[in-house]
Amino acid sequence: MSRHDFDVIGKDQKRKDGPKKVKGEHEFADDIQFPMMLHGRIKRSDIGHARIISIDTSKAEALAGVKAVLVGSEAPIKYGIVPQMPTEYALAYQKVRFYGEPVAAVAAVDAETAEKALDLIEIEYEALPVYTTPEQALADGAVKIHEDNKFPGNIAYESDQNFGDVDEAFKNSHYVLGKVFKTSYVNHVFMEPHCAISKFDTNGELFIWSTTQIPHYLHNHLSKVLQMDMNKIHVKVTGVGGAFGGKGEVSNNELISALLARKAGRPVKVLYSRKDVFLQHRGRHPIEMRVKVGVDKEGMITGIDYDGTMDGGSYGGWGLVILFYTAAMLHLPYNVKNVRFNARRIYTNKPTCGAMRGLGGVQPRFALESLLDQIAIDIGMSPYELKKKNAIGFSHETVSGQVVRHSEFRKCLDQAVENSGYLEKHGNLPFGKGIGLAGGYYISGTAYTLYMAYKPHSSAMIRVDNESGVTVYCGATDIGQGSDTVLGMMAAEKFGLPFETIHVVSGDTSLAPFDLGTFASRVTVAAGSAVCKAADNVLKKLKPVAAIQLGVSPEQLEARHGKFYSVFEKSREIDFWKVVEKYIDAHGPLTATGDYTPPRRTGDFKGANIGHSPTYGFSAQCTEVEVDVETGEVRVIRVTEAGDCGQPINPVSVEGQVEGSIIMGMGQALYEELKVGKDGRLLNPSLHDYKIPTAADIPELKTTFVDSYDPESPFGAKEAGEGPIQPVIPAIFNAVYDAIGVRFTEMPITPEKVLKALDEKKKQEGIRS
Amino acid sequence: MHCEPFEYEKPVSLREFESLYAARADDARILAGGTDLMVLIKEKLLAPRLLIDISDLHELRGISWDPRQGLTIMAGTKIAEIERSTLVKEHAPALAYAAANLGSNQVRWMATMAGNICHASPAAETPPVLLAHDCELIIGRQGGERTLPISRFFLSYRKTALESGEYVKAFRLPPLPARAAVAYRFKGLRRAMEIDMLNIGAYLELCEDGQTVSDVRLAMGSVGPTTYRAAVTEKKLKGMPIGEDFFAAACGGVVQEATPIDDVRASAEYRNRVIGVLTRRALEECLEIIGARRSAA
Amino acid sequence: MKKLVKLEINGENFDVAITPTAYLIDVIRETVGLCGTKKGCGIGDCGACTVLIDGKPTLSCITLAVACTGKAITTIEGLSKGTELHPVQRAFIDKGAVQCGFCTPGMVLSSKALLDENPHPTQDEIKSALAGNLCRCTGYAKIIEAVEYAGQLLSGEVVHEQA
Repeated sequence: MSRHDFDVIGKDQKRKDGPKKVKGEHEFADDIQFPMMLHGRIKRSDIGHARIISIDTSKAEALAGVKAVLVGSEAPIKYGIVPQMPTEYALAYQKVRFYGEPVAAVAAVDAETAEKALDLIEIEYEALPVYTTPEQALADGAVKIHEDNKFPGNIAYESDQNFGDVDEAFKNSHYVLGKVFKTSYVNHVFMEPHCAISKFDTNGELFIWSTTQIPHYLHNHLSKVLQMDMNKIHVKVTGVGGAFGGKGEVSNNELISALLARKAGRPVKVLYSRKDVFLQHRGRHPIEMRVKVGVDKEGMITGIDYDGTMDGGSYGGWGLVILFYTAAMLHLPYNVKNVRFNARRIYTNKPTCGAMRGLGGVQPRFALESLLDQIAIDIGMSPYELKKKNAIGFSHETVSGQVVRHSEFRKCLDQAVENSGYLEKHGNLPFGKGIGLAGGYYISGTAYTLYMAYKPHSSAMIRVDNESGVTVYCGATDIGQGSDTVLGMMAAEKFGLPFETIHVVSGDTSLAPFDLGTFASRVTVAAGSAVCKAADNVLKKLKPVAAIQLGVSPEQLEARHGKFYSVFEKSREIDFWKVVEKYIDAHGPLTATGDYTPPRRTGDFKGANIGHSPTYGFSAQCTEVEVDVETGEVRVIRVTEAGDCGQPINPVSVEGQVEGSIIMGMGQALYEELKVGKDGRLLNPSLHDYKIPTAADIPELKTTFVDSYDPESPFGAKEAGEGPIQPVIPAIFNAVYDAIGVRFTEMPITPEKVLKALDEKKKQEGIRS
Repeated sequence: MHCEPFEYEKPVSLREFESLYAARADDARILAGGTDLMVLIKEKLLAPRLLIDISDLHELRGISWDPRQGLTIMAGTKIAEIERSTLVKEHAPALAYAAANLGSNQVRWMATMAGNICHASPAAETPPVLLAHDCELIIGRQGGERTLPISRFFLSYRKTALESGEYVKAFRLPPLPARAAVAYRFKGLRRAMEIDMLNIGAYLELCEDGQTVSDVRLAMGSVGPTTYRAAVTEKKLKGMPIGEDFFAAACGGVVQEATPIDDVRASAEYRNRVIGVLTRRALEECLEIIGARRSAA
Repeated sequence: MKKLVKLEINGENFDVAITPTAYLIDVIRETVGLCGTKKGCGIGDCGACTVLIDGKPTLSCITLAVACTGKAITTIEGLSKGTELHPVQRAFIDKGAVQCGFCTPGMVLSSKALLDENPHPTQDEIKSALAGNLCRCTGYAKIIEAVEYAGQLLSGEVVHEQA
């Protein structure tokens, strides 16, 4: 089948959950109710760092309507998404490490009673010093936030990687530029707050409904913390109202709902408020990065030197993985031979940072794309030319051993530049207006699993019969991005059936086979591969049956337009469902499985496992801004994006991913920042003070795809959900430089910073003239 | 988000409302749109014992125009109705503009202008325009009413001149003289759904020569505990000819009189800096409107 | 004290026993059982809880249920008739304006209210009307496109094609 000859793939498909969603019928966790269900609420600490001396729950227990009260000592088992380094408890045990940490929980007949009961819980603390910045946490004599931390002081993890000889490279460089970059403390702000409902049946089996990206990790963690056999736990993913990484770790409410349900003997729902969501956090790490880049006379990059301090917040979470992703994502999509990476993640008394859309990439991309822009300008070259010269092509192996089999990054640069008129505009717009270019890339899945098992990363089962049609069972989780649609489309294309007739069953540990979850932009390639293999295995069973009916060899049969037919003689055809019927009559049920494990790669350095991906997506953006030089307001006017996501499976969905990424990135570049008081309290944990872009803020968006097809991927596809956010922030920063000649190195670019910088610039120019 | 229990009453006439409020003013709150009040209650910043719902009292709705008295807006009129009113667009376009930029569309359909001023937030959208118009408030109570210039309404942070049992009944914006205009400028981080970092309402009236400032009012929001007028500057500006000196005196003056603080939305330094910029822009807009009106006449 | 209150939701009358402190969203979702109305923040910042009261978009999370007697409440469930979708709903599906679906009910209702008042809104008018409905998935572009398209469907300029 040639790549241009698809019936389903590459054509805009209306998602099957669309009608339910526009009617409000799509079932989210909070929409689920059970008879006798209790409502759980969480008592949170009002201190940033302390030892728990005592917790008195007697008054809460005595309140009418309260059915269970829970404290940390009832589940003192540590867990964490990185199983080698668990740091968290369902409820704080012995210590609290951030302001707003869950300390106790109540299940009551209604939410109001549960909240009243929280006020009756008395907790005595012994205060410890609160560290809200890495500097404070690293100061001499600082108290350890985690007493059993194996790294010195409050260093959660540190590591270095060194490839080539950076010092030597810089010595021989034509130009070396270094700057300090700081990124902000931002939250995913998915619209649906966390919610979980747990219910035990008479046999003591646990059923949990939750809004999660990782049902199988949740399954595993529940077993650990509740000390129950996994086969007695059933995880059911409800509708997921956005996640972006924020539901990519087990959250306290899930464990608490299960523990409370067990204790109360009744179903328990634990729904978060918006403030709870901000406290659960797991948003992007603020990183202070000292980055230096050298180039030769031609503008070829000679080396990169990176030193980063990550503010991790109070717990481990995905932190150490993100640290190594940052290393892996430092130099791509450019060809760089000498790279030095030094980084540490620091515990502070704040809500924990974790995985957020484009994790590991967004911060180093910001630094690198900003530096390359400045270097190009400083050496009198167009940033486009410099980036294109250094851009990788096909079959590239990075210094850290990542193998990029397929890249159309250069096409992305060309197309974004051409569609935006970048070359004519850059450097030529009036003061206050500017255009900036940035590139980026992202992994399409990860080669390394934290699941601590060597089983396939994705698996799928397909059942075909004349009663129910085609049903695809896959553990992958649709978090709103439309993966059920994409997997259904792949099966439809394989079987030559209309997409609408395919059923997809996903996100249920009892029904669907194992899948790692929805993160690292892995689903289309990994789960897609598993579904394609399962479909191929179904066809392998059906073709011989069709072949006998038609009197041709199975090899010359193709499944299309609802039929099997001979590619040599199209009139020899038989209805698909007729073949299914014959098969089942003769052999019984028709099922097949497929699975996928990415090529495993590693190296002989620390963190060498992390960053490898079967394939990579690329993008480039040209962004135009206007700066009000009197008020400091920065407006993004237009974003022209060109993306290499391989063959888009469902183009309308890919565009949606790109547009959502751009606006999310714009929010981080211009508005978003969680602010923390000296006592560790979040100062703006609401959607009126933490500002995400509204419909009124959006620029003109011109998104296009470059012609691309990765022949080793399912239907040529690569990631599209996290790559497009990579260039957004540096493209805006580069555009602001073009507009007013100020190189910002700290997010977000608020009006205040713009005015201060313009003053500083005037002063400098005054000194010079 | 549980809250302390409260009672709810919905009087069917203004009279019934006034007597109920007179009896319960100490522990009651008036519920008009609820967009501020209900949030304060949910966040446990307020715990009234009784809410008196006046949202459907037709006596408190409506916008009317009288060439002598000016524009009368009844207190219960929704912000969205003010935003859309042809009378407001004609006689107080800056108010229609401020209304259109308040909160979200949903908030505008729920909230009232009386609610916007009675919460006396220094960041509120309509007070700068109302102060610029030197609007008169009609304040009701059981068995009577009084009028109060809005310049005497805001006492301090979230404190108003309303006495126990009194409520805002109507706004009266006097007709603008021939060579006068009002403009509103604001600055938020986003383009919508904002609590402003800063806002200003400006009133400018020229003498017959079209060159000299006859009267000026500058009302600033978010630069002090309440929205207030830059009285000293206003005095200084009167009689000045329009020109760079006038603008410089206006911008310099408001900065002198602004007393902003640092908060989660903006720093005092930023507010001091930009209040002048907004003042200039608002005054320039006033001039433009006056000029346009003259050339049309 | 709970009182019996009459609410008219989607043209149907419901007698609900509620206290004065009950918010409309909770009554709609929990007492009446219409779960299409979503709670994203609980304090009127996100617009997911938008319902129409007498046709006007209203934040049900900061509206008292008891204050809604005698008014016509429309929730997302009241927009379609069985499987027959309202043109705004069809437009959202056709234009790819739906991703996770959590903001969608509120977004659809805000769009309907806009188009009822202004059948041919400009892009800026759409943006202003929807600015109170936050969405983190779509970047709003396809939603704005869908509202424009819905306007065309409603005015009959464009006829919806069944896929």
